[in-house]
Amino acid sequence: MSTQSDRSGTYVRELLSLSKESWLGYAFLAPVVVIMGVIIGYPILEGILMSFQERSMLQPDNWTWVRFENYSQLVNDEVFRTALWNSAVLTGVAVAFQYLLGLGLALLLMQKVPGIQIFRSLTMVTWVLPVIVIVIIFNWLVQPGYGAVNIIFERLGLPTTYWFADTRWAMPLVILMHVWKNVPFFAIALYAAMQSIPRDLYEAAQMDGASSLQQFRYITLPNISYVSMIMIVLHVLFTFNNFDFVWLSTGGGPLQTTEVLPTYIYREAFETYALGYAASVGVVMMVIMVTFTTIYIKLEDFN
Amino acid sequence: MATQTDSTQSNDADGTIDGLIRRFDRHLGNDMSIRKAATVYGLLFGYYTFLLVPIVWLMLSSFLTTSGLYSGELIPSIDEYTIANYERVLGDGLFQQYFLNSVIVAVATTLLTLVVAIPAAYSVSRFEYPGRDYVILGLISSQMLPLVLVLLPLFTIMFRLNLVDSLLGLVIGHTVGALPFAVWLLKGFFDGIPEALDDAAMMDGCNRIQIMYKIIVPLSIPGIAVSAFYAFIASWNDYLFVSILSQSSGTRTLPMGLQLFQTANQVDWGAVTAAAVVTMVPVLLLFAFVQSWLVEGLSNTGTKGS
Repeated sequence: MSTQSDRSGTYVRELLSLSKESWLGYAFLAPVVVIMGVIIGYPILEGILMSFQERSMLQPDNWTWVRFENYSQLVNDEVFRTALWNSAVLTGVAVAFQYLLGLGLALLLMQKVPGIQIFRSLTMVTWVLPVIVIVIIFNWLVQPGYGAVNIIFERLGLPTTYWFADTRWAMPLVILMHVWKNVPFFAIALYAAMQSIPRDLYEAAQMDGASSLQQFRYITLPNISYVSMIMIVLHVLFTFNNFDFVWLSTGGGPLQTTEVLPTYIYREAFETYALGYAASVGVVMMVIMVTFTTIYIKLEDFN
Repeated sequence: MATQTDSTQSNDADGTIDGLIRRFDRHLGNDMSIRKAATVYGLLFGYYTFLLVPIVWLMLSSFLTTSGLYSGELIPSIDEYTIANYERVLGDGLFQQYFLNSVIVAVATTLLTLVVAIPAAYSVSRFEYPGRDYVILGLISSQMLPLVLVLLPLFTIMFRLNLVDSLLGLVIGHTVGALPFAVWLLKGFFDGIPEALDDAAMMDGCNRIQIMYKIIVPLSIPGIAVSAFYAFIASWNDYLFVSILSQSSGTRTLPMGLQLFQTANQVDWGAVTAAAVVTMVPVLLLFAFVQSWLVEGLSNTGTKGS
């Protein structure tokens, strides 16, 4: 039992002695494992290999090993550093706003006012929209001369411009689109978590004279912390990984002020055709995502 | 409760503002006063203005004539409204083709996702075998991988399998995107069904496959509906896979179809807004069907505390 060979022997015996039931369990699972393996698992491994190669999108079979050359090139690549920084800012700011606004909306949805059901049922509408439609909506709103935002700004005597082309405003607008889409998902998930908190906890607290702020701090927040963690980790991954919002709205511009890692990878691979280099950026991205998730989940385990 | 109602009855009858407020307060229940309700409504109004006005604005704009669109007026006069944009968009042969492609790919993705995900979720929910936890972990951690990195080699693989520029290639790609969430969501639902039901059915001579289709599936319709909806919108809304795997109008879907009405220098805003509305309406209609199950579905997944 204690030595390594004993243990692997146990595994073999275990596999051989598996019941018909267990094999059926494997059979039910097999299609998912095969599909995920072929479409995600194998490409990831090949992607990692590619990052050590010089390889072009135009001739993918014609490649040479360059070892760490792509990575050493990354260190001095200013666009890469910009994209890394922008990705971090976009993810951090967008998820922070999504969580805070989502939490606020969840608290409102808990209130028992007449007609609240209508609000609850309308909440998820922005979350289900295609990103391209969201980009079109915001693009239309900020058109110079005839977009609603600029018409209103003009009436109020505020400056008007095509905000997506403004180096100061392009990133805030991209963040705004993320927040607009995802606040409802945060709100509904947190609302569902709040609903599962037993009512008598609040009643007992009220008896003891706890203010509603204290009830929120000592009952609501601890009880939604697990859901909060899941939602924050998931949305950090979604936002960090997201390609469409930036690509379809600004394309990374103006002057790379909105360039993020996914758009940079896409550009390097499918426009510059530098497949190996693009893959090395992808590997850096992957390392960041895996590290973030691992640290976060570890931290949460300790608490 | 009853005595309290009786004692305040006389006060309400005088019809003064105070009496009205008291009557409302009683209607609202113990932990709500009209002042608090007003604050809640005010904040809700703010939130839903932020969330819904942009969508309504898009819909209104799609019904405007060219002069109405570019008038620089917030509220163009009533005779500026027209359905000409929709006639132009829906009459466009390429747009029709993209719409049809979107329907085929999204429906096929939904079916394939369900066919593969239901047995898998049943397997991880009910069966005991070595390595089960690793499968769940693997599915969840596939969310941690950069999609763009996957796409680079995937393009080469699809090319070798002759799946570039084919609808099947898109369906497979989209299914992979929807699978982890679908399995996870369905596992949550299946876990909630008492295993005693399985045992009882087995006594009656049902095998595992029969149990799955006769007992588990009918009892988890809300979960299946939400998974189906998720797979559908993941496919319908996808731009990244389509932009790389589709090379011709025979396989392009609506997110790319929206670019039909814009060139580098000019955007036909009437057509673009109308096409955007046509793209989002199917999603919103399906959403209307599943929205009551969506909250349940979300609270059933890992968010409950594994």
